Amino acid sequence: MNNELEHQFVTELESNQNIVHKVCTLYTNDRDSHNDLFQEITIQLWKAYPKFRGESKFSTWMYRVALNTAITLYRKSKRRVQTQDYESVIFKIKADEYDATQEEQLKLMYKAVKQLGDIDKALVFLYLEDKDYREISETLGISEVNARVKMNRIKKKLRTVLNP
Amino acid sequence: MDELDLLKKDWQKKGDQLPKLTYNDIHKMTWKKSSSIVKWILIISILEIALPNLLYLIPSFRQSMSIYENTIVDKYFLGMTVIYYLVIFYFIYQFYRRYKEISVLDSAKGLMRKIIRTRRTVKYYVIFSLSTILVFIAIVIIGIYLNDSFMDNFTEMAGDSNSVSPEKLKTTLMVSMAILGVVMIAFFGGVYFLLYGLLLRKLKKNYKELRKLEV
Repeated sequence: MNNELEHQFVTELESNQNIVHKVCTLYTNDRDSHNDLFQEITIQLWKAYPKFRGESKFSTWMYRVALNTAITLYRKSKRRVQTQDYESVIFKIKADEYDATQEEQLKLMYKAVKQLGDIDKALVFLYLEDKDYREISETLGISEVNARVKMNRIKKKLRTVLNP
Repeated sequence: MDELDLLKKDWQKKGDQLPKLTYNDIHKMTWKKSSSIVKWILIISILEIALPNLLYLIPSFRQSMSIYENTIVDKYFLGMTVIYYLVIFYFIYQFYRRYKEISVLDSAKGLMRKIIRTRRTVKYYVIFSLSTILVFIAIVIIGIYLNDSFMDNFTEMAGDSNSVSPEKLKTTLMVSMAILGVVMIAFFGGVYFLLYGLLLRKLKKNYKELRKLEV
């Protein structure tokens, strides 16, 4: 029974692992920390998996656990250590879409997002993942109005990075 | 086009640039042990509850406590021990209840609030423990001051009562006890606040940030 549950869990996580990798990319700055956080999120997901009743999609459920782990539970925080190599691997632009101005803009944007606080990052992450404000507010535990207000402030902040 | 929409478009194409873990890699991870702050709070709390009580199991500590037998201290000691353990069990129960409420499936704010509440239980426990040490030492000092037979017990144990006058010995003992009390409280209090301060610094900052949004 437990083996079956485990197999089911690993299969689901394997096909949805991008969500976790994206969270790790935002919240860590080097490969070791990335792997470390990925592992902690996996452990937390697995511990909570018996409570997952399939009321929502597995991926929806993952967002909450992954963000809670990154923001609150993860202990070894190596934030704001400048390791550009790793970032440039993750955030590089595909060759066929190369546009010097756009690439420069995106680089600046990603850099600015990575410098945001943990909560702001979570908001931006859910926004980039195309989540609506209801889901964003429920995940973070704030009201929908406040989520919108905060997001607008972040947008403004990011805009000033591009147009100082 | 909105700058963030440009980012969103690019973000959603990131999939093929991200690392890919195999089924086996992920399977191995499910067997690893968590190192989350909740786990650390649990470990530290168990140590904090167990250590002062384990102290009594050390033979030399028990022996040194035996000098208080048949003294005024002894009478208070039994009553205090009963109250002490009642309070300790209350704290353990309260801690367990709050610890169990912590769920990774909560909202970010809910999760942080519950961790802070659990930690607060430990904080009250530590304050209680340190106060107990203080009260205990105060009783011992009063015991030394009021009871001469206590001094007889002590000098017998020391085996050399002629060289130092009883009054001087009494004062020295009382002052040493007071210093020991202050040092112990400062040490345990310092370790506790440093440990939790470091462990929960990030959480507190984020919780404050989330609460600020609600104002």
